[in-house]
Amino acid sequence: MAASRAAVVGSLFWKCGSCSTGTFLICTNVNTQLLSRQICATPAMRRKNLAAAGPQKFTEEFIKKQVEEFNIGKRHLANMMDEDPQTFTQEDIDVSIRPRRKHHPGDQVFPRQTAVQWGEDGRPFHYLFYTGKQSYYSLMHDMFSKILAVEKYQDRLRSKNLFSLDTKQISLAGSRWLLKEELEESLVENISDHDFARFIQLIERLVALPYGAAEEEFVLGYRRQLEVQSSKQEIQPLQYDQKGVAYSTADGRRKMSTASVTLKDSGSGKFTINGMDQLHYFPVLQDREQLLFPLHFARMLGRFDVDSSVTGGGRSAQAGALRLAISRALLSFLPEGQVEDMRQAGLLTPDPRVKERKKPGQEGARKKFTWKKR
Amino acid sequence: MALYRLSAVRWSRYNPYYMEPEPRREVYVSEKEKDEERELKRVRPIKAATSGTSSSLFSDSVISKFINVMMQDGRKVLAREIMTQTLETIKRKQVEKYHTATETKKLEIECNPYNVFHQALENCKPVIGLTSIQRGGKYYQVPIPLTDNRRRFMAMKWLITECRDNKHRRTHMYEKLAQELLAASANEGNVVKKKHDLHKMAEANRAYAHYRWW
Repeated sequence: MAASRAAVVGSLFWKCGSCSTGTFLICTNVNTQLLSRQICATPAMRRKNLAAAGPQKFTEEFIKKQVEEFNIGKRHLANMMDEDPQTFTQEDIDVSIRPRRKHHPGDQVFPRQTAVQWGEDGRPFHYLFYTGKQSYYSLMHDMFSKILAVEKYQDRLRSKNLFSLDTKQISLAGSRWLLKEELEESLVENISDHDFARFIQLIERLVALPYGAAEEEFVLGYRRQLEVQSSKQEIQPLQYDQKGVAYSTADGRRKMSTASVTLKDSGSGKFTINGMDQLHYFPVLQDREQLLFPLHFARMLGRFDVDSSVTGGGRSAQAGALRLAISRALLSFLPEGQVEDMRQAGLLTPDPRVKERKKPGQEGARKKFTWKKR
Repeated sequence: MALYRLSAVRWSRYNPYYMEPEPRREVYVSEKEKDEERELKRVRPIKAATSGTSSSLFSDSVISKFINVMMQDGRKVLAREIMTQTLETIKRKQVEKYHTATETKKLEIECNPYNVFHQALENCKPVIGLTSIQRGGKYYQVPIPLTDNRRRFMAMKWLITECRDNKHRRTHMYEKLAQELLAASANEGNVVKKKHDLHKMAEANRAYAHYRWW
């Protein structure tokens, strides 16, 4: 019954947490009176608190050793597969090693972590260590010194009367600022929303300076490219029927209508909907305008034979569904630049507006019952 | 920092990230102009074009807006019909005037009904507006600047209410509208008078302009 044994320990020895291996230090007689405390050590205390440890931390040497071992293993593997070790890529490794392989430590991407930030004497290396967010504040100081440098340059130009406002500005089109998470990753530090807002404010101030183009590459390092929207458009390849005439089919939807359209490159401007001519099917001019909108925009009015069918919805919804279907079918016939123009004209976006549902406790979607004060 | 355009409607089916479409064909012919905006449009999603707009030469965004403001109970067909009849009436009247006018006067007469409409609308737009602000228990009419959209809307609303209320009830809407538009394009008529009254009120209440805090 080796239960918890009360150990009398001096305060000087109670430093590191890993002294719970069952050895209990016995204090000297000298300081018994003043410094001794009754401490009961239970087995639960001796167990390691996994949650408090945080994410697994690796030392620099451990990472280096793992990478070296991985490289050695890679060279051995290349020799085994009779390939050149220098040009042996990760894909070749994946192909040569079977899918049920052991988790290779070389694959594990070690997250960037802060190295020890103070020397042997306990003095921190960085002058901003005691701010708590040294990389963030040093970045802000760097940016501000850049702003001051640009302003100084501008003042020098002004004194020589060479200052002009029509200088080339940094182009920010097609990109976005770093997100807060991305900045945290690059700084290896946690920053608050307020800090991030200040960062964006400062870098925008740098961009706004007339001669700020000098710091272009610094600024662009904090921008991320946005993908071009038109690349998301799926264009069906052209199909040819027995006579060699090109045709394409597409569908479109709007509110509760669905339409299906076949465009034939025949050279007449015939337009049939559900077997009827478009003039009979759509007596209203607005709907016929909608049908011809994509063809008129692409300057291909008399070129196609359109055969379509449409069901559901009302007059305007059917026209909208047909318009979307025609635009989609037309994409196969268009050159690249025109696809982007069609998209910017709003012809390729399916209209998301649908009838709003009725809510309980209300007359309709928005209309409320009569309000009675009492 | 504000990448998201504030949506004018309080709740829109579209994400505010979406940009407005440009249906006119001529804009896409010229390559170099407005490169920044074009670049921005390349990476942003675009809203669908509404059913009132098209790339046709006869579609005009201002006229479409006017038709929508004039529309009651969702009767777009009727509103559009009235608009086309109005334009036709304007054309007829102007052509008649043209043929009966002397040589010098002929140059001044504008026969294009679209130009007449745009000129009339411009003449009806107020420059400054009034708003009610409460201070110390009393409500004061304070002069405030107006956005372009608000000015356009006020001009259209005045034209339509003027035609609906203050005209002889046996005349058709298109006749009334045509009369009012022709008068407005010459800076006459009740709507232009109403605009001048608003300006005078704003001038009179100039003392309270500092009550505005935005």
